[in-house]
Amino acid sequence: MTTNYVDLANKLILDKRSKELRSMVLDAIEGGGRGHLGPALSLLEIVRVLYDSVLLHDPTNPKLTNRDRFVLSKGHGCLGLFTVLADHGYFPTSELKGFCSFDSKLGGHPERATLPGVEFSTGALGHGLSVGIGMAMASRLRNEKWRTFVLLGDGELNEGSIWEGAMHASQHQLGALTVIVDFNRMQASGDIDSIVSLTPLVYKWGAFGFEVTEVNGHDVVQLAKVLGSSTVPTGKPRVVIAHTVKGKGIASAENSTAWHHKAKITSDEISSLRAEVAV
Amino acid sequence: MRQRALSTVYKLAKQDPRVLFIGSDLGAGTLQAMRDDIPGQFFMEGISEQHIVGFAAGLAQEGFIPYINTIGTFLTRRSFEQVSIDVGLHCLPVRLLSSGGGMVYAPLGPTHTAVEDFSLMLSVPNMKVFAPADAFEMENLLTALVDDEDPHYVRFGKGGETIVTQNFPTFELTPKVFGERSSQVVIFTTGVLLQHCLEARTNLLSQGISTTILHFPYLNDLSIEQILSNIGCAQLMICVEEHVPRGGLFTQILHEFASAQISTSRLNQLSLPSAFSHKYGSQVDHLDLNGLTAPKIASHVEGLLRIHGN
Repeated sequence: MTTNYVDLANKLILDKRSKELRSMVLDAIEGGGRGHLGPALSLLEIVRVLYDSVLLHDPTNPKLTNRDRFVLSKGHGCLGLFTVLADHGYFPTSELKGFCSFDSKLGGHPERATLPGVEFSTGALGHGLSVGIGMAMASRLRNEKWRTFVLLGDGELNEGSIWEGAMHASQHQLGALTVIVDFNRMQASGDIDSIVSLTPLVYKWGAFGFEVTEVNGHDVVQLAKVLGSSTVPTGKPRVVIAHTVKGKGIASAENSTAWHHKAKITSDEISSLRAEVAV
Repeated sequence: MRQRALSTVYKLAKQDPRVLFIGSDLGAGTLQAMRDDIPGQFFMEGISEQHIVGFAAGLAQEGFIPYINTIGTFLTRRSFEQVSIDVGLHCLPVRLLSSGGGMVYAPLGPTHTAVEDFSLMLSVPNMKVFAPADAFEMENLLTALVDDEDPHYVRFGKGGETIVTQNFPTFELTPKVFGERSSQVVIFTTGVLLQHCLEARTNLLSQGISTTILHFPYLNDLSIEQILSNIGCAQLMICVEEHVPRGGLFTQILHEFASAQISTSRLNQLSLPSAFSHKYGSQVDHLDLNGLTAPKIASHVEGLLRIHGN
């Protein structure tokens, strides 16, 4: 029987930690009065699981030589990354409230030069996969064991450079590379299917030479199982298609283009969003 | 020049495991010796310049020094965002080795002629832009700057250029000066037009016109001190470059003059037009059409001197 991941992602009830992380995202949104809320909530469990239980990393030494590399290619989902990094102690959680302010380390997209724990500056879409392929190749050339994880947005798959990278990752059989697609089925202006359909996404990645796994992108147990498993025995690069919900965990923001990115967010709106997280 | 550049990369790679070569579907047999000898440092990727620049950035971030070679227009136009963000923003030591600078690929039409490459690359923060004049200078440049931590863009000539920089055995970022000080004419140039300018200088000398040439293989900072020490008595200065009029060497000179508050009243320009050419032929055909060959340069200078002399 085919698993209905969309249904599973929609129905999943978030645990206490996921709700706490969402409150932290709202701290940043409140501080900056703006932000990409929907994309951040869509990928929050993926990033949480990576930093909680999958990646080898050290918040006290962000440049640890043998750390696993994580590239957030969909940089506009940065509030999810910032929140998890702060929660792990890469920087004080109080800095979240300075989001997008003039002297803040936290801008509207992640920057390596300013924020500890950010592996590569992203924001323009379609860059992270090729950079991650370079990193994975570097690991191979040095015969080192660290792995590379690249998180892509589904809208980002519109970029041709993604598919250039996919062909090359496959050509080089980069088994230490894991691509994760945050598949929330929406992009800034509407449903993916109404803009550029990705169907059949599993087959597309398979045809490009990837080992494909699907998962409920909000189920932390399943995510840990899939992302934490060792590399694919075939040596193929792998892609994990994480079925998610844009704005997950805040009903009024779920599947809403209005909350893809919003500026001039009022305190009344923040109060309302906080109340929804608490439910 | 390209051949010497690639063989230099091979030589550097033999000495330093950080050095990698990345090509983009280059011709069969390119650096075959390197491929056979040190295959782990040789990559011949597909026709995917955006990917290749990002790939190189990822490698450079991890401590490698990737030298990418493909046609200049594809590196500069096609991959501009990757060059700017992945390489420039992160200030990574990626080397963009650009085949076919200027009108080298004239027979292939405007999709292949890199006439605005300086402008594009000079606009990227952290990018150092180079245009050596011959294979000797190319090898010196690549060897001297292998450990430089900044990104580089290096424009290649067609190849087979007469060696004219042999009296400068070490590569410096400052301009190379040909001729005596106190000349009537100072020519500023870069890349393979140096050869044409040197020939023009000989022509002018035969007319009794003394000329000093400043060749800038490095286009970012033009060493205003050296410019000042050479332009003192000149009746005429002229910038000669194989590039569209704006954004290249001439623009850099204007910046230097403005910052040093030097008058530009004696400064002139010879360049390619701000246009995509729809003619083919050879590189020299286009240089000649635009007054960039030795006889045309000399003739233009003589004409300007007649005007300025009055």
